[in-house]
Amino acid sequence: MGLLTTSLHQVHLDLGAKMAPFAGYDMPLQYSSVKDESNAVRTNCGVFDVSHMGEFFVTGKDAIKFVDYLITNDFLSADLHKAVYSPLCREDGTTIDDLIAYKLGQERVLICVNASNIEKDWNWISSQTNSFDIELVNKSSEYSLLAVQGPKVVEIFKSIELLSDEDNMEYYSAKELNKLGEQVILARTGYTGEDGFEVFCSHDMAKNLWSKLLDKGALPCGLAARDVLRLEVCYPLYGHELNDQLTPLDAALKWTVKTQKDNFIGKAALIESKPKKRLVKLSLEKGIPREGYNILNSKDEIIGVVTSGTMSVATGKGIALGLVDSDKFPKDKAFKINIRKNNIEAIYHVKAFVTGGHK
Amino acid sequence: MSNNIPAELKYTKDHEWVLLEGDIVSVGITDFAQSSLGDIVFVELPEIGTELSAEDTFGVVESIKSVSDLYSPVSGEVVEANTDLEAGPEACNENPYGSWMIKLKVSSSDEYNALMSSEEYQEHCSNL
Repeated sequence: MGLLTTSLHQVHLDLGAKMAPFAGYDMPLQYSSVKDESNAVRTNCGVFDVSHMGEFFVTGKDAIKFVDYLITNDFLSADLHKAVYSPLCREDGTTIDDLIAYKLGQERVLICVNASNIEKDWNWISSQTNSFDIELVNKSSEYSLLAVQGPKVVEIFKSIELLSDEDNMEYYSAKELNKLGEQVILARTGYTGEDGFEVFCSHDMAKNLWSKLLDKGALPCGLAARDVLRLEVCYPLYGHELNDQLTPLDAALKWTVKTQKDNFIGKAALIESKPKKRLVKLSLEKGIPREGYNILNSKDEIIGVVTSGTMSVATGKGIALGLVDSDKFPKDKAFKINIRKNNIEAIYHVKAFVTGGHK
Repeated sequence: MSNNIPAELKYTKDHEWVLLEGDIVSVGITDFAQSSLGDIVFVELPEIGTELSAEDTFGVVESIKSVSDLYSPVSGEVVEANTDLEAGPEACNENPYGSWMIKLKVSSSDEYNALMSSEEYQEHCSNL
């Protein structure tokens, strides 16, 4: 089967983007350079086509209750127009995906899921609707999604009338608004650590917005820069720090598991569960850690594996997230990473490598 | 994609360029290679004195998102490694044909003569 394309595919090709298959789509990996694109997001504004992501809408009387039951984080008590990041777990606590649920109305919720998991998530979520008065629809193919990220985003959005002071868009809020003659969903979310918005809109509007944003100085950015940015701020990525075998507790996401909630799928298992793994943040003075490289203790014993690694554009150092076996976590917090023939000492970080600029 | 291919050099299928001067060959990566890799941020080169056979891995070049092995185009002994590239790997992007990586002392020019000409390399790249 051929690769799917987004509404902006031809635009990417015209811009000379380096394209690569991603989650069944032919997606832009980079346009100019990963360095320039990452820097643009940290200091100015970058725009990503992330239309490959999945959009499910839950509507009806029980919409909020249903989503709260579905996910481990607390959706019920979130304010109207708030977005909530959460793992989606099975009864045994293992993770199907991580997602963002947007409380658009008392009876209307948007769930945005990872592109590679759309079918798996849809099958799971639609199998859980029985006792709820809701309607669930998969509108993944109907929506384009632009992630516009960086400190200049508000200024740029106001200049193209995509945002006004009256919209009151706080960090992690989401609203359906009529903008530029169309109904769009504007969410002050993203996955770069910077201030920014995600714009769920029609395919035609995405093309229109893309060119307006570029005219105002936003730099087109590809998935490679997006991965560097999310890793610098230590956001997990499904398929790397999270997967079908791990619980959110294994991936240091205890904060997203609200066991005080009445009920949710996986609650009993997650109350009982002890983390098998510990997520570690490591950097190197020299060399670049890559996914799959072994993590060792000071005695050169293998204790874990790098789950994501890259060169940080912001710090100029090799950075990694990795999962270490809980029972092998070294008390002295001395770590090494094996790169080819060498075991290289790594620096253990408690905080993220980069402090994002989100509001 | 940029594809500057100087006529005076020889090339490998793995996108190294090779220059023979006396019994020393200089080896670097081509413009096509640097453009494909994107921002080059790390170069690892061999110790002087390393004996290499043709197609042996002699080092690694890393962009922000990828790792690529470097392969020796011919057999010989490493007599110099361009350590400037370890401190300034971006030179591989900026000036690929000015950024030699290693110099090898070769005993025979047979392997060098068998490498691709610029025309053959152009054809090789156009088929990728």
